[in-house]
Amino acid sequence: MQTQKAMNTFVKETGGWVASQLEACTRCGMCAEACHFYQATGVPEYAPVWKVELLRRAYEQRFTVSGKVKLAIGIDSEISDEDLLNWSSYVYHACTVCNKCSMVCPMGIDLGTLIHDVRSGLAEAGVVPADLAAAVQKQIEEGSPLGMTDEVYADRLEWVTDDWEVDIPIDKEGAETLVVLSSIEVMKFPQNIAAVAEVLNAAGENWTLSTKAREVVNFGFYEGSHSHTTLFLKRILDQAMAMGVKRLVVTECGHAYDALRWTAYNLMEIPDSLEITHITGLLGEYVSSGRIKLKAGAFNEGKITFHDACKIQRKGGHINEPRQILNILSPDAFVEMTPNREEAICCGGGGGVIAIKDADPIRYAAFELKIDQVKKTGADTVVMSCSNCRLQFTDGKEHFNLDWKINGLTQMVADALAD
Amino acid sequence: MNWTTFLHFTRGPLFQVSLLIFVGGMAYRLVRVVLLGWKGDKAPAKGSKLAGVAKTYLKGFLIFPFIPWVKRTFNRNPIMYLAGGLFHLGLFAAILLGTPHMLVWKSLLGFGWPTLPLPIVDWLAAASIAAMIALLFYRRTNSLLKLLTGPAETLNWLLVFLPMVTGYIMTHHLFFQYEVLFSLHMLSVDVLLIWIPLSRISHFMFYFFSRTIHGVEFGKRGVTP
Amino acid sequence: MSEETIYQRLEKNGVSRRDFLKLCGTLVGAMGLTVPPLESSGLPGHLLTEDQTIRKVAQALESKARIPVIWLEFQDCAGCSEALTRSQSPTLIDLVLNTISVEYHETLTAAAGHQTEENKQSIMKQYAGQYVLVVEGSIPMALGGAYCTIGGRSAIDILEEAAAGAAAIISTGNCAAFGGLPKANPNPTDAKGVWELITDKPVVNIPGCPAIPEVFTGTLAHFVIFGALPELDDLNRPVTFYGKTIHDRCLRRPFYEAGKFANTFDDEGAKQGWCLYKLGCKGPTTHNACATIKWDAGLSFPVQSGHPCLGCSEPDFWDGGGFYQGQSAPLNRPAATAVGAAIGAGAVVGAAMAANNSAQKKRAAQASEE
Repeated sequence: MQTQKAMNTFVKETGGWVASQLEACTRCGMCAEACHFYQATGVPEYAPVWKVELLRRAYEQRFTVSGKVKLAIGIDSEISDEDLLNWSSYVYHACTVCNKCSMVCPMGIDLGTLIHDVRSGLAEAGVVPADLAAAVQKQIEEGSPLGMTDEVYADRLEWVTDDWEVDIPIDKEGAETLVVLSSIEVMKFPQNIAAVAEVLNAAGENWTLSTKAREVVNFGFYEGSHSHTTLFLKRILDQAMAMGVKRLVVTECGHAYDALRWTAYNLMEIPDSLEITHITGLLGEYVSSGRIKLKAGAFNEGKITFHDACKIQRKGGHINEPRQILNILSPDAFVEMTPNREEAICCGGGGGVIAIKDADPIRYAAFELKIDQVKKTGADTVVMSCSNCRLQFTDGKEHFNLDWKINGLTQMVADALAD
Repeated sequence: MNWTTFLHFTRGPLFQVSLLIFVGGMAYRLVRVVLLGWKGDKAPAKGSKLAGVAKTYLKGFLIFPFIPWVKRTFNRNPIMYLAGGLFHLGLFAAILLGTPHMLVWKSLLGFGWPTLPLPIVDWLAAASIAAMIALLFYRRTNSLLKLLTGPAETLNWLLVFLPMVTGYIMTHHLFFQYEVLFSLHMLSVDVLLIWIPLSRISHFMFYFFSRTIHGVEFGKRGVTP
Repeated sequence: MSEETIYQRLEKNGVSRRDFLKLCGTLVGAMGLTVPPLESSGLPGHLLTEDQTIRKVAQALESKARIPVIWLEFQDCAGCSEALTRSQSPTLIDLVLNTISVEYHETLTAAAGHQTEENKQSIMKQYAGQYVLVVEGSIPMALGGAYCTIGGRSAIDILEEAAAGAAAIISTGNCAAFGGLPKANPNPTDAKGVWELITDKPVVNIPGCPAIPEVFTGTLAHFVIFGALPELDDLNRPVTFYGKTIHDRCLRRPFYEAGKFANTFDDEGAKQGWCLYKLGCKGPTTHNACATIKWDAGLSFPVQSGHPCLGCSEPDFWDGGGFYQGQSAPLNRPAATAVGAAIGAGAVVGAAMAANNSAQKKRAAQASEE
């Protein structure tokens, strides 16, 4: 293990942005109030403030006099290999980087990003959980962490085209909009692909999929490694730029949107002419402008609630679009969870957690909080616009024997398209 | 040395030295952090960063951070919010709106302002002290806070508590002669002034950094912070 | 000077038995031997009923020989003497000045020059170990005491000589007690209070500027009557008079509690008689009996008449913050240049640290690229 590499990353990443926020923390522990993993397990080490502790120690030891003094008199100790292993289990197993903690922090510290920085250091030191590391490796080699090779991709698309009788343009020249799917959709929710195609076709969009930019999922971003994140982002963005599209649409995948929409710009040059957006935003735009017409009240049976995903709603800002759509589709059935919108509680599966087998017990524990929340609304259907959340819900539904219906927003829109 | 002479020392030369150390120390902390470099954010904003900043300060100042149900979290430990809020409220009421403290500001800044009647400040200060005791108790019993509490945190608590409690007893003329407590109050304030730049109590300065960052981060995404 | 008792001497001067008992009542009041102690020090009427203590005082005065007093003045303004002579409690002052007999007082004694000095020497010899020494004014120690000399002798020399045979010493006024005005920063004469210089005799401090006449006479009478000094606090002040602060007994105290303050000397608050704390009142730390005994036969005292307490009975009151600056304010504010220098120094060291840290960041970035 290479502690030095982790330290180098921490030191390198610590600019005024990080330092001022670390200086602001008073260790009041309020952030734990927002953390579903802490709340579900009661393990103090899972508190967001403690997840950042490693970064804080590195900062103090290297950048401040008091940290050096603490080190000298033995109040603090050098960061050890053991520390890295421990923090690996805190920041990868027990954090979805949902950033709800930053909303609770009385100082407003952007904890999610700081935890991402901790991940970066651990990734450089190679202290990434084996399952996650393997998935990253797979994505480097095969282009997708879920085994979606070129052949599989082509097969699945062909199958979807046939089965759902939908027109899916691939590598279409002169297309204005490039849609990049996530392998979760391709492998687990193929109906979503059909739904995306139906909606875009209905809107008369000049769009296409690409055989090169075929995987929007970015396990390097989960891992926190800059080089891997950049590598996977480039696969998409280089192709988009080569094709000269005006718009890049991320389908129902949360962290990929976070990486592309907010992080990519700071890792590489992206021309102003390329707009990056999420399918949720696009749906809202279509509905508002009337490019697609929906059957009002198409899903007005029972009770339907909407799960706000951390990366698409809280961190992506697409909070109103789903509500706008659900108020048309399910005017009576739609009920809100509490808390919701930007204050929503995370599903517990994001941030790569669902890919780590060892994290299953706490992932399920965290999901129980979500179950409570949904049960309070009395809803029988939970809708979301993130495939990762959907994976967690589907898995959780099975694990806890719930009789819910889990649906995707795009799919609902596709099903309710007026002819 | 008698108490009166000691009082002259603690509110005279010692206070001056402490104040200079405080000011210099805070300047050191500020410059050390600010000059570390700031990476610009090139991602195009979805919403207004300025609006985000304005909203987060509004929320931050209107006691929102300390009312548990406003945060809509799990609310398992409302005492932390309430005690934390009461403590800060009482502290700021006392040091800004208490007449004796306003006169300190006036002598340093050259201008004063209207103050609150003593009974109001007094009750707030009492609540503040009670909140501090609750917070200490909480720090000693809650497993997370035990993890987060080292010698520095305990010392922070103590060095803030001493001026508060000596000030309170002094205002009420309890137990000791007034100038004894006045001296001890000033001594504890002097020690606190020196300690602040060395400790996390300086968070009041970095609060403006983290709050602004919070506002920018949420504002650029078009989300209410 | 014979073995004549004080009462006999009073009788000779035409004081009736009834007046004598009245006087005893006054004394009891002045010494704070009754409760409430001092309110009526000039008005003895009802005190006659406090017969137990009064009888004791009367007995003492009937049986005790008078005690001579030697009064020395050094760096002073004679204000304490002045206050005493102008006091509106004539019987009491009469008692002190005439009956108890001040044998030497530069300002009040009719005789002058060598004659008085000789008289002082003979008194000191005759009553060695019995007389009371009263000191007014501070003693300069700089330049071998050259700042204050009388008849070619330095103040400290005169003081030490007189103190040697004194039964007790009473320092009247802030100057004699704590150095007072002459000691104010930068204290060019190295002025000192008596108790700093004379440590082998009991010294009572009656600070004030001037000392309250009733407090002085009450203390002196206590020694004369009981042959012992009253209970003293840690600054050697009689607890009876200095046990409470001006603030404790202030008639404006309720306004302080209610947070009603005068902000200027002519605002509505000042007219309403509100608290003078914001105008610089030092009442909370000032131990004296002004608020109860008051001045001019209980007529008024500074705070009552609309002026903040200056704290004149406390050590170094002259350097204890501006008279019109709130007491909570620091004694003086740091010079702008000092603040600027502190900020500058902090910023420079901070910048150096930041440069060092930035270099560290660069090295770390290089290392992680390799």
